[in-house]
Amino acid sequence: MLARCARCHATFTTDHFGVQKCPTCGAELLLADPNAPPPAPVEPGAPPPSAAPPFGPPSPTPPAAAQGGWGGELPPPPGAPPGGYGGPPPPTPPGGWGPPPPGAVPAGPELPAPFAERSRLGFLPAFFETWKLVATQPQQFFRRVAADRTWSAVLFGVLAYTVGSVISQLYDLLAGAQLLGMMQRGLETVPEEQRQAVTAFLQGMGGGFAVLHLVLAPVVGFVGIYVFAALFHAVLLVLSATPRRFDATLTTVGYATGLSLLLAVPLCGSLLWLVWTLVVLVVGLGEAQRCGPGKAAAAVFAPVLLLCLCVCAALAIGVGGLMNLGQGTPGGGVNL
Amino acid sequence: MGGSRAERTFGHAEVFALIALLSLAVARFVPVLSVPFTCPLRALAGIPCATCGMTRAFVWLAHGDPAAAWSASPLGALLAGGLWLLALADVVRIALGAPLPAVGARAARTGVAAGAVALLLNWAWLVAREVAS
Repeated sequence: MLARCARCHATFTTDHFGVQKCPTCGAELLLADPNAPPPAPVEPGAPPPSAAPPFGPPSPTPPAAAQGGWGGELPPPPGAPPGGYGGPPPPTPPGGWGPPPPGAVPAGPELPAPFAERSRLGFLPAFFETWKLVATQPQQFFRRVAADRTWSAVLFGVLAYTVGSVISQLYDLLAGAQLLGMMQRGLETVPEEQRQAVTAFLQGMGGGFAVLHLVLAPVVGFVGIYVFAALFHAVLLVLSATPRRFDATLTTVGYATGLSLLLAVPLCGSLLWLVWTLVVLVVGLGEAQRCGPGKAAAAVFAPVLLLCLCVCAALAIGVGGLMNLGQGTPGGGVNL
Repeated sequence: MGGSRAERTFGHAEVFALIALLSLAVARFVPVLSVPFTCPLRALAGIPCATCGMTRAFVWLAHGDPAAAWSASPLGALLAGGLWLLALADVVRIALGAPLPAVGARAARTGVAAGAVALLLNWAWLVAREVAS
């Protein structure tokens, strides 16, 4: 029979059910036996099954092939349909992180993120699998990710932010060295004492601040994740959009922070990271808190809108002050 | 929060308490006021933003000068004091083995709304003071 690996999507031939290895990527697969008895129902509070539905095009042997979620595990075999095997096939239970088949039920049981199972999957495969899901399938990922392993989400975000910041800082250091060279050429006409002072300042700004930034990146990432999660959750609280409590918000912010790896992209990395993260945050909070994108967008953008309102009000006051200054009103000057 | 044992013994409340204590340590021992930074809004329009003065409020309160902290930013002084008291309360709670007090959704909503109003009032006060001076 034919089977398909959940990780590399390679199709291979096998002659038995059960645990086996993908010959292409070496991932461990569990090929379910269609004649096995149906699994016992999952009790509330029990860890969700690492099961997965069929994904991709159907294979010639539906029960055995084309199975698997992100970890290469396969779902428990489906039980006999209520009307027996002669009736229409039962709807496929949703599960796994793969793209849902057409017509599939959108919601399903909660699943731990691949990174939360890094001890089983391996650190780097779990990290990049999670990153791929967050970046490319945020709606499905945040809809179904379990919110009870917040430490994994925070660790994921802190690691990605640290790596992205370090690489970005290295770019800045290189650019700073170039800038220093250019400025030194421009400072040739400046007196020696001032030139030394400016050079020392620029070197300190480049080296000192860069090292400080590198050392503090994990702390900044950790604190930032919690503070922003609290900020977003506060707005969601006001909007009565927190059915899954703070854990879901923190999980979303933690995994969305994983996109900080984009900071490692030269030149446009910061812009890419900002836009992509905002989109993922809006989609993710809407799905994780089951509140929809509208309230999620309000939660994400409310601080920005508040800031904009403040800036507009300040500009209005500032323009008024400028007009007073133009009319020669005493005390009407504004320090621009 | 559910999940692992580590998460149950060191939950969100403890993390926020740690962040609050970290802010106290930074405000007390790091010369943050010597960092050359000007509020962009103040530079652009000549008036303070809603959070102007909060760093100074944290620093001065950490150095035991509540009057100067209040003068820099009333909300900043209240926020700093509140955060550090909450951190202290959490340490005491852990030491006594007491459970985390539950906060209802309605109370939380009211608290957030009150915080937003306080932020706007604080900003209005800062602007009024700046314009009057």
